[in-house]
Amino acid sequence: MSDDHCDCPPSAADLRLQRAAMEGCGESRLLMSRRAMLGITAGLFSWAYMPRFAEGATDDPRLLVVVLRGGMDGVNVCVPFGDTHYASMRGGIAIPASSTIKLDTFFGLHPALVNFGNMYMANEAAVVHATCVPLRTRSHFDCQDNLENGMPPALVANPTGWLNRLLTALPAGAPVKKAGAIEIGEAPLILRGPAPVLGWSSTWFDKVEDPLLYLIETLYRDRDQEMYDTLERGLKADQIASRTDQDDGGISDLRKAFRGAGRLIAANDGPRIAVLSVGGWDTHADQGAAQGYLGSVLAELDLAIADFKTAVGPSWQNTVMVATTEFGRTVRVNGDGGTDHGVGTVALLAGGAVNGGKVFGDWPGLGPGQLYEQSDLKPTTDVRSVFKGILHDHIGVATTLLNGSIFPDSRSTAPAMSGLVKAPAGKHETGATAPLRAEPPIARYRKGLKVTLDQAAT
Amino acid sequence: MSLTATAAQNALIAFNRFGLGAKPGGPASIGSDPKAALKAEVETAGIADIGGSLPSYAKACFESQQGFDRAEAMRQLELNARVDKQMSVDIGFVERLVIFWSNHFSMTVNKDDAVRGTIGQWERDVIRKNVLGKFGNMLRGTIQHPAMLCYLDNADSVGPHSPQGQSSGDGFNENLGRELMELHTVGSGGGYTETDVTVMANILTGYSYVRGWEADGGYNGGTNQNRGKFLFRPTWHEPGAKTLMGKSYSSDGAQQTLDVLNDLAVHPATAEHIAFKLVRHFITDEPTPAMVKKLRNKFIATGGNLRAVALALLELPEAWSAPFTKIRTPYEITIAQYRALGKRYPDDSTWTFSEPLNALYNMQWESPSPEGYSDDTPRWLSPDAMRIRVDIAQFSSWEFADDYKKDVVKLAKSLFDSALSKNTNERLANAGSNNNALTILFSCPEFQRR
Repeated sequence: MSDDHCDCPPSAADLRLQRAAMEGCGESRLLMSRRAMLGITAGLFSWAYMPRFAEGATDDPRLLVVVLRGGMDGVNVCVPFGDTHYASMRGGIAIPASSTIKLDTFFGLHPALVNFGNMYMANEAAVVHATCVPLRTRSHFDCQDNLENGMPPALVANPTGWLNRLLTALPAGAPVKKAGAIEIGEAPLILRGPAPVLGWSSTWFDKVEDPLLYLIETLYRDRDQEMYDTLERGLKADQIASRTDQDDGGISDLRKAFRGAGRLIAANDGPRIAVLSVGGWDTHADQGAAQGYLGSVLAELDLAIADFKTAVGPSWQNTVMVATTEFGRTVRVNGDGGTDHGVGTVALLAGGAVNGGKVFGDWPGLGPGQLYEQSDLKPTTDVRSVFKGILHDHIGVATTLLNGSIFPDSRSTAPAMSGLVKAPAGKHETGATAPLRAEPPIARYRKGLKVTLDQAAT
Repeated sequence: MSLTATAAQNALIAFNRFGLGAKPGGPASIGSDPKAALKAEVETAGIADIGGSLPSYAKACFESQQGFDRAEAMRQLELNARVDKQMSVDIGFVERLVIFWSNHFSMTVNKDDAVRGTIGQWERDVIRKNVLGKFGNMLRGTIQHPAMLCYLDNADSVGPHSPQGQSSGDGFNENLGRELMELHTVGSGGGYTETDVTVMANILTGYSYVRGWEADGGYNGGTNQNRGKFLFRPTWHEPGAKTLMGKSYSSDGAQQTLDVLNDLAVHPATAEHIAFKLVRHFITDEPTPAMVKKLRNKFIATGGNLRAVALALLELPEAWSAPFTKIRTPYEITIAQYRALGKRYPDDSTWTFSEPLNALYNMQWESPSPEGYSDDTPRWLSPDAMRIRVDIAQFSSWEFADDYKKDVVKLAKSLFDSALSKNTNERLANAGSNNNALTILFSCPEFQRR
């Protein structure tokens, strides 16, 4: 009986992905659980409040931040076929210019990015090349933290994320009503902090259904009102995110999560800012070229981005998706047909609001003297500049706030990148300052305050 | 013979609030005096020891610097042994204390192999050995352990005026110094300043461990004998006397940190911080000064004797009178399921253990922040998590009890005795199948709350 209920055995394609990743670094191998195999390592988290300046409006800006975990190989995602050193550096994993989706006379997209390529041609997608987080240690753990906490490299450890600090600093407006599920979850670091966030996870566990669910719901109703109310809110949010009137069966958790994100941020009274986290990019071995492991993962991400566009619907015109990763890979192919931890990589932007059809950033070159530490793509754009450009022009966040609470000490090292969105916001929220560290329970106790922060009512 | 309502309720408090959940017949065996049963567990010789032939400090340190696979093998071995131990004990109060203290000094294996390979050994040799002993010994053992020195970035921290700092220009890293004050000892608002944090970081300079590459190449005194082990690097230590929280420490070198730790370990603010955290973890999200003071005073009077403090926790009137407003953590639920069924995941299917805990963000030794897993009830009793809890109850019934042939109503009665509510009993009886009934059992308030 458990075989009927257990999640389905992995398909041949999944097993191929699994085998390829098994060759990777040990950390990736560990992550190769059944869930991680399908590409997603965390649920969707989104802000449970609507920005005050956008309340009730259907054309207010939407933002989806995607954290690609593992270190995506930017050089084979947006291929610089026009660089004379590309083919020799990449050897067996070089993608011929003719195989790429040509963006101009110099760059082409990995052929797996079909939908993203179409968006690019329609000026709804862009690439920022040679980006990097400020920290350059090539450690997954530390660089992911740095990507998410938005701190200068000298201050890597910080318990709040830049997106949560943004939410703390902005005027809150009204709580999201429709989704109704407010929690301080174990969100990814980028959204961790005092501002309450809504969590929804596209877990692979079979859902409890009626009549069993009814027995549990009524048991809670009769015995424990708090558990009852909480469960009901969770079920309702799940209903919106994984709509039962549309067929989500048979697709990966990754695609389900992107669909759920689109549905939630498109809802008139839904959240406006969401975060997704996608694993599987640590390509130490057998990553392939036009085809192969990296292509399979990119193809799945590409489908997920297309799903997201469909799910967002008309709000696509007001949407920016930005996908970034903790670091890139070595420019030279290694002895196992893969690439090792590097520095410079790409950021991917998609959405109707994106000033698309462009490859942003300065190209540093792949020649021997042009690499970072003779090994990696030399970063020319701090990834904080990309985030700041989007927050400033799309969400309408004032520069003072961006340089203060949100990305401390970034004014001169990572100025906001301009030109990333089609119609820059006219007015900008200056907001309040957000603390870099939340006040711990013991500090509240010592001040005689209520220790547990009240959760916003729905 | 069923227990009286009061006796069954007190037994439920012992198993859920203070323990890891009843095994069949548990309430009946302690029902005559649940508090005495908890105290007896504390007094049992060797109660916190795991036993068996688990890796020594030297072995764990060595293996942690031999690549990911060998470090990961250490983690798996240790985690399985921990689960087995937690299934074996009668009530699990001491195990809950182990979990509490391990979380107090929270680290994640995802930082580095140095943590992955040694965290289990650290928990056995530092937490378990002192969980009913002196807090100061636990603190000192932790700050001298490679896992913590790696996790909070002290391994490369160099005093700017030390010989190494002078020649290389390297500086100190304040991560461990800050968390030592804010999280491990006196706590935020405990009377230290930003300057004290910087001073603490300078005091800690030189506290490091031997990285694999140092052992391989014989660099910085590294050898195969000390591979992965704690190492004080005298030439990295910021020289001179330091003044911390108004007190001057004239000793220098490695001893300076030890002198400071001795004081911090018995500082009244540390006593208050730990008293507050214990009450908040076990009893209520909102500890009152009356509750905190009793434990704080016991901590101070005994010089940080954690056995005395644990026993004082059981003597708080609220320990037995506070309502079940908290909810068990997903890890506590997982272990409670195993104990109820007398069965855990097979060694070759650890995913059935880790996936539910990953989905609910409570995998052990993997808290993403040095603050550790939260004692805020809303963090666990949240809409998304509540929905997933119910799905996971069903998953467990399929994964661990698909061959369960016994009467689930009887099982529930043996787990909760007369504390089993009529409402739960009715639904168990009408569940339609054993899998459904076990899903209800694992979801019911009697199982979830504490």
